[in-house]
Amino acid sequence: MPQHIKRLIGAFAVVIILFLLLQTILRPTSFGKIGHYRADAIQENKMKELHYAGSDKCTKCHEEMKTDKEVGFHATLQCEACHGPGLKHAMYADKFKDGKLPDSLMLHKPGSRKECVICHQLNAARVKIVFDTINNSMIKQIDPMKHNLVDKRNFAKLVCIECHNPHQP
Amino acid sequence: MTQHIQHLYEVLSKVDGYVYPNEIELNWSILIVLYPYITGLVAGAFILASLERIFKLHVLRPTYGIALLTALSFMLVATMPLVSHLGKPLRAYEIMVTPHLSSAMAIFGFVYLWYLMVVLLLEIWFDYRRDMIIWAGETTGLKRFLYRALSLWSTDISPKAVALDNKLGYIVTIIGVPSAFLLHGYVGFIFGSIKANPWWSTVLMPVIFLFSAIVSGISLVMLVYIVITRIRKLKIDMPCLDTIASYLFYILLIDFVLEGLDQIHRIYIAEESFDVLHNLVFGRLFFTLFIMQGLIGTVIPLLTLGTLQFYKPKIQIRKAIYTIISPLILIGIFFMRWNVVIGGQLFSKSFYGYTSFKIGLIGTEGYLMAAFWLIVPFIILSFLLWLFPPWKKKEDDHEIQVG
Ligand code: HEC
Ligand code: HEC
Ligand code: HEC
Ligand code: HEC
Repeated sequence: MPQHIKRLIGAFAVVIILFLLLQTILRPTSFGKIGHYRADAIQENKMKELHYAGSDKCTKCHEEMKTDKEVGFHATLQCEACHGPGLKHAMYADKFKDGKLPDSLMLHKPGSRKECVICHQLNAARVKIVFDTINNSMIKQIDPMKHNLVDKRNFAKLVCIECHNPHQP
Repeated sequence: MTQHIQHLYEVLSKVDGYVYPNEIELNWSILIVLYPYITGLVAGAFILASLERIFKLHVLRPTYGIALLTALSFMLVATMPLVSHLGKPLRAYEIMVTPHLSSAMAIFGFVYLWYLMVVLLLEIWFDYRRDMIIWAGETTGLKRFLYRALSLWSTDISPKAVALDNKLGYIVTIIGVPSAFLLHGYVGFIFGSIKANPWWSTVLMPVIFLFSAIVSGISLVMLVYIVITRIRKLKIDMPCLDTIASYLFYILLIDFVLEGLDQIHRIYIAEESFDVLHNLVFGRLFFTLFIMQGLIGTVIPLLTLGTLQFYKPKIQIRKAIYTIISPLILIGIFFMRWNVVIGGQLFSKSFYGYTSFKIGLIGTEGYLMAAFWLIVPFIILSFLLWLFPPWKKKEDDHEIQVG
């Protein structure tokens, strides 16, 4: 075999061996223990900070909201869909004897017209979508520029929750 | 919470109709457009070089070396748009150390390596080894060291050794053509196999990608050749250019017909996704699809090159035509990739709505980043042309010794 072909094969052998070597070195240690992924990834994801508590947690303290909401149209909504992530609030709210929570633990109270129409905005593409196949119902839509925009008596701007109870609309 | 809602309002203003939450923002941006574009240029340039070698088309000889080096310079950059698109680019190597057969992307790493190491580098090495040894004797300093090292310090330039190089190089070329087809067919496969997306999911995708790749690669080599001869103030080899142009015409024609076939098929079967795609094509994609890809990139080049098949104007005019048409085709193919990658994400998989694509100038996914990855291959190409000038090779016909 000519000298240069031998060298070429040698060079390729070096590259391949180097690659295999790197492959064993760089392969994450916990890889493949359970499946084709890093087993540590599960642990790492468990350590991630949580933000949401879930409605069941909320109603432990806010019993009246539960009874309100259960019979209304918003029965299926999670509290935190409107109030925002509330895990910290749910964990620490009862630590304050006088019931006065610091600002950092207070939750958002979505009262403005903008916030209800996130779900109720008139939207041509959504009309056909059946939200709940059993009741064959869908999220009702309103045109926020027309639906009771101002109070006819004094022309003050109206917000949705003046007429609709958000927990039992 | 309020800033979340602010952000939601901002992004919702880009949306028409109903889209799923994860469709509001496009995740595959211009860098993912570049990736099939650049791999296409590689495969196309290589196939042009192989035409010369396998079918012994000696008229194409002036572009052989240029085509190979162009393929190599773009190949070295092909994965970079993908890597810089990643949120964690430093983890990119993990796809290579923990490959899985069920991941098309993981296997692509190996298709890429095969093509780079076993096809391109080997073919260039066999082609240049003798010249590197000769040039090493004529130069000094770093250049001499580079030639020495790259020829693996070999010294044998006897006719027998050179004949063996040519034979092996020929074999590599023969392996190379299906490999180039595989490389680019694979890129099309990655898109074509996403069955949830009716704009992508077609078995024709690999074939269409392949032919558009050949078209773009040939145009690129044509343009590079014209520019190089102009810089070196040489007379351009018109028979060579004319031959390239006629290949370009035929392959562009095939590409056009294939893409047309795909669309006709889509129109004829008119699946439930048809309405949403119809609106997409005549709405958000109108400019890039009909004007840029269709008119500029396909119809004008087809008509001009087609005319040249019957009627040959003066050399000056032909040269001007080639200089204008090749960039047009390059732009057209770029927008073909754009229409596939971006177009496939503009409509909702619920078929009820559309989102839109905005791209910034700066940032990791902006125009500047994309321009950067398009310029780097040309810098590499200039370096390679300086190190391995094809025009300084001792002229011999390797085919004669093989044949
Ligand atoms: C450990 C008991 C507890 C839990 C669990 C709890 N809260 Fe509270 N919540 C409180 C207390 C105490 C207050 C303060 C009452 C006040 O200021 O009037 C409060 C006040 C509120 C307020 C009113 C804030 C204001 O500005 O008036 C909202 C809204 C609220 N909680 C929502 C929630 C939601 C949503 C959850 C579930 C994620 C939740 N809470 C879970 C105890 C709790
Ligand atoms: C549709 C959105 C929505 C949902 C779902 C919702 N809330 Fe509310 N909530 C509101 C709005 C709006 C207010 C503010 C009412 C006001 O200012 O009068 C509010 C106020 C409150 C308050 C303060 C009461 C007060 O009188 O100030 C509490 C406590 C509360 N919600 C708890 C809950 C709990 C617990 C749940 C889940 C069982 C829940 N909310 C689900 C919209 C919602
Ligand atoms: C997270 C989405 C969401 C938000 C935010 C929301 N709603 Fe609703 N709303 C719903 C759903 C879901 C239904 C019930 C659909 C069903 O099952 O009938 C509903 C039902 C209603 C209905 C009853 C419509 C009927 O069928 O007659 C009213 C009224 C209403 N909401 C008002 C409001 C108001 C006022 C707000 C703002 C405080 C609000 N909604 C915020 C999702 C939302
Ligand atoms: C002046 C009081 C008033 C205000 C303010 C008001 N609504 Fe209503 N809303 C009503 C009444 C009354 C009805 C039932 C009659 C009707 O359909 O118009 C209703 C009906 C609805 C319905 C059910 C529509 C349907 O098709 O059945 C929705 C959803 C709704 N409102 C949402 C809202 C939202 C969101 C806002 C704030 C942007 C809002 N409303 C503000 C009085 C009000």
